[in-house]
Amino acid sequence: MFGVLNKNFLTGLLIVVFLALAPLVLTTHWIIILTEIIIMSLYAMSFNLLFGYTGLLSFGQAGFFGAGAYFSALTLAHFTSSFWVCVAVGVIGTALLAFVIGWFCVRLDEIYFAILTLGFGMMLFTLAHNWRSVTGGSDGLTILTLPVLTFSSYRLELFNPKIFYWLSLITVSLGIVVLRQVVNSPFGLLLTATRENSQRVSFVGQNVRTVRLVAFTIAGALAGMAGVLFGLFNRIASPEMLHWSFSGKAVLMTILGGSGVFLGPAVGTSIFFVLEHFITSYTTNWMIFLGAILIALVLLFPMGVLGTAASFISKQRGVMKHE
Amino acid sequence: MKKVSSIFLMLSFLVFSFGASSVMAAEAPVKLGFVYIMSGPFATYGQFAKHGAELAIDEINKGGGINGKKIEAFFEDSAGKPDVGIRVIRKLVYENGVDAVIGLDSSGVASAVAPIMKELKTPLIITHAATPDVTGKNCNRYTFRISLNENQNMKMAAAIAADMKARIWTTIGPDYSFGHQSWEYFEKYLREKKPDMGFVPVSDVAFAPMKTTDFSAYITKVMSSKADGVLVSLWGGNLIDFVRQASDMGFFDGKREVLLTLGAATEVLYTLKDKMPEGLWVGTRYWFDGNDSPENKSFVQAYKAKYDVYPSYNAHGAYAAVKAFAAAASKAKSTDKEKIVDSLSGLSLTLPVGKVTIRPEDHQAITDGMWGKTASDPVMPIRILKPVRNFVGADITPAVSETGCKME
Amino acid sequence: MEGFLINVLNGLSWGMLLFMISMGLTTVFGVMGVLNFAHGSLFMLGAYMSMQLVRWVSSFWVGLIFAPLFVALLAIALERFLLRPVYGRDVSFQLLLTFGIMLFLDDGVRLVWGPAHHVVNPPDILAGVFPIFGQTYPVYRLFLIAIGPALGLGLWAFFSYSRWGKIIRAAAMDREMAEIVGVRAPILFTSVFGFGAWLAALGGALAAPHQSVGPAIGEHIIIESFIVVVIGGMGSFPGAFVGALILGLLASFGATMAPDFQMALPYILLAIILLTRPRGIFGEES
Repeated sequence: MFGVLNKNFLTGLLIVVFLALAPLVLTTHWIIILTEIIIMSLYAMSFNLLFGYTGLLSFGQAGFFGAGAYFSALTLAHFTSSFWVCVAVGVIGTALLAFVIGWFCVRLDEIYFAILTLGFGMMLFTLAHNWRSVTGGSDGLTILTLPVLTFSSYRLELFNPKIFYWLSLITVSLGIVVLRQVVNSPFGLLLTATRENSQRVSFVGQNVRTVRLVAFTIAGALAGMAGVLFGLFNRIASPEMLHWSFSGKAVLMTILGGSGVFLGPAVGTSIFFVLEHFITSYTTNWMIFLGAILIALVLLFPMGVLGTAASFISKQRGVMKHE
Repeated sequence: MKKVSSIFLMLSFLVFSFGASSVMAAEAPVKLGFVYIMSGPFATYGQFAKHGAELAIDEINKGGGINGKKIEAFFEDSAGKPDVGIRVIRKLVYENGVDAVIGLDSSGVASAVAPIMKELKTPLIITHAATPDVTGKNCNRYTFRISLNENQNMKMAAAIAADMKARIWTTIGPDYSFGHQSWEYFEKYLREKKPDMGFVPVSDVAFAPMKTTDFSAYITKVMSSKADGVLVSLWGGNLIDFVRQASDMGFFDGKREVLLTLGAATEVLYTLKDKMPEGLWVGTRYWFDGNDSPENKSFVQAYKAKYDVYPSYNAHGAYAAVKAFAAAASKAKSTDKEKIVDSLSGLSLTLPVGKVTIRPEDHQAITDGMWGKTASDPVMPIRILKPVRNFVGADITPAVSETGCKME
Repeated sequence: MEGFLINVLNGLSWGMLLFMISMGLTTVFGVMGVLNFAHGSLFMLGAYMSMQLVRWVSSFWVGLIFAPLFVALLAIALERFLLRPVYGRDVSFQLLLTFGIMLFLDDGVRLVWGPAHHVVNPPDILAGVFPIFGQTYPVYRLFLIAIGPALGLGLWAFFSYSRWGKIIRAAAMDREMAEIVGVRAPILFTSVFGFGAWLAALGGALAAPHQSVGPAIGEHIIIESFIVVVIGGMGSFPGAFVGALILGLLASFGATMAPDFQMALPYILLAIILLTRPRGIFGEES
């Protein structure tokens, strides 16, 4: 047990170090793409805590993602310019919001849960879109001055793409560590148990709704964290970030990578953005290609790209061992 | 877990090798990036803009290019979404190494993108998006607009409304910032001209969400109000649906005055053809038959010959921006971004639409505007404007102090 | 009062259009358990096909009859080659697959017909206007209001009295049992999917003269049809009818009475229904 944990820790560390060194060799353009991939990975992984681990298909995750961006944009506009306060307000604010919305949503199952979360997400979208005096309406809230990060006499400039990249990497890594702890904790086992058989969980005296509500709140808070970063990254909180089609993006990227694997959503996110980048370079009819590739991936990779690859490799290993 | 991470490493390695290989080549040509809506319900606007840009580039390249260098164009789709707009502009600047960015249809995208230009240190020439903020309270050194903005268009609308019989005004617009702002400016400017003019309270005006395809409820709402004048700020597919449904419901029965603020878009007129009622006052940023200058004649002729339709205001916007960039570059004798910015600021040139000056204080183009009344012409495939009413740029542009712009 | 009655007419005509689109969606969900994201795209394709047919033969009725058939054939091919391999898998894969089909079709029509909007004229007999309450009202809208219930009744009769209708209903209630008594699921699924597509495309062909035909018209309608189906109860025809009526009237009265909330109203209604009657108004509680 201890050995496994250690190995995972080392792999994780290796990936983070590798990513941390990346800006030294990459062009600015690819640093920016990688920043977006890292932020969106946290978003997709937060969704997968509900989908892959708890068995709840949320179609309203963008609501929390966008709420994080709005909370931080409002904080920056009216209160403080501290980066960490900004993140804290975004995360705590969305956690509360997710708790309230989750309190209603966890009562339902399956497709009904999916549609109800879509409904709540779209209510948040409408709120952001129509409450012009506070949210700036459809134009969104522009972040005119980025928060500052000061370490004693050092002052970090967030509009430098490399620094923003490293900051995103640190913040997202923190988020992923939290997610990993949750998944590996006894509570994480309880989550998987509610997915497999919610009746049995209630037989052993656990309240399924409470378990789900906690998961919903954590997922919301982490999506909010990703949203804070995304808002700062784009210097704007806009209603599109709350729209159901943005929620659909999380679903798409997660299933693309594989919902059964911890890092599956992150791989799906990378594939999605790299694909999109190359397709849009060659044609403006990128949707038709994306659609076709999506169809092919669904048909050829029944467990997502990472999931299918992983099971293929372990099969190969198994064969080798037998020989 | 190990296998998972090895796959992850492999994938990221792939990303890296692509990234490293796409290091910029030595820049020989002048590179211009264009960002328009190329997909979804407003994609026609992007198509017209692309054609306008290509026409201008052809002309300049045939004439020897800019300072002897040919122009190379890069087109990107903003999909009308702020995050996509920002992503493609970063791509244009960092990967393609463009010397300037031209375009933007949606005000939401423009509001999101303008502050970014300050960090990218690259000139942006907006050709369609009309939100006053990007040359107002969010103005900056790198952001310019060559087309008319909302204030200018509403000043003209108010001037026309002031001469009409209508005494109480209402509106039908899209339910997003553009629609609401159009109504607020219209009310403000019309009140200045006619203090006794009546306006329906904001709870009784009609704003339809952009995804609306059935406008009957909004048409009924306006028809059953006391208003006898209606400002319609719908555009694109929304305007097409509205005009057809409103005609059937007797909206254009002559009992009310109607102003269509973006009704003279050829994108819309080509779809509606004779379904566009006659005798309506329609606004535009440019009209192909608006003046007889040699610049306009040659533009319209060349465009018609190449694409078999008359140029829309969006085609003109893209064409105008390319010409303005070329003029700025030859004035500066350089395509250095800072020098282009300096040279664009205060630039004056003659475009098909007329004489255009980019005001140095807020980077908004001072350009003559016009509205016209729809009429039919047996030889034309679409409605024409007759008569037209011309406005002098200086008269319809609010003073810099009113815009809220503080150029740093 | 007159404004009120006009609003009722507005709501009814929009509601009946929603009803026609939702019927296919609810049938496919009821029988196959597939929430079809591409349903809106099939609606759009129906509109484009009928527009093209009207251009070629200049008859609305030819478009109305043949466009849905073409779309149904295409849908049968889609079901046979793309959807069938994923039936055994998680619902999310079906969702993703139909999402991919939606992207493909939405962009496909743009490649074929370009990005511009197109106008289809109603047939002469339905083109006029009707004087009512001191204004005019398009005959075509009254036609929509009439054809909705007619089509609904026809389908109800089909499902109640015909052999195929009964089989589909039986399969919707208990798929395994239907297979045991000899219903061949693959053929059943293919025909139900084709039938759902036919209904969507019929809606599209009927909508073409009422609104313009352009890319993304399917995207605009899909979420509202989802809401109709969920409010009424998934798989239920009367549910779809009532749901569509409610949404249609909500759209027309919401625009007049609660303009600030009109965009949120369908979602608020959706949440209330789901939280109080999770299986919808006409759904059977399990």
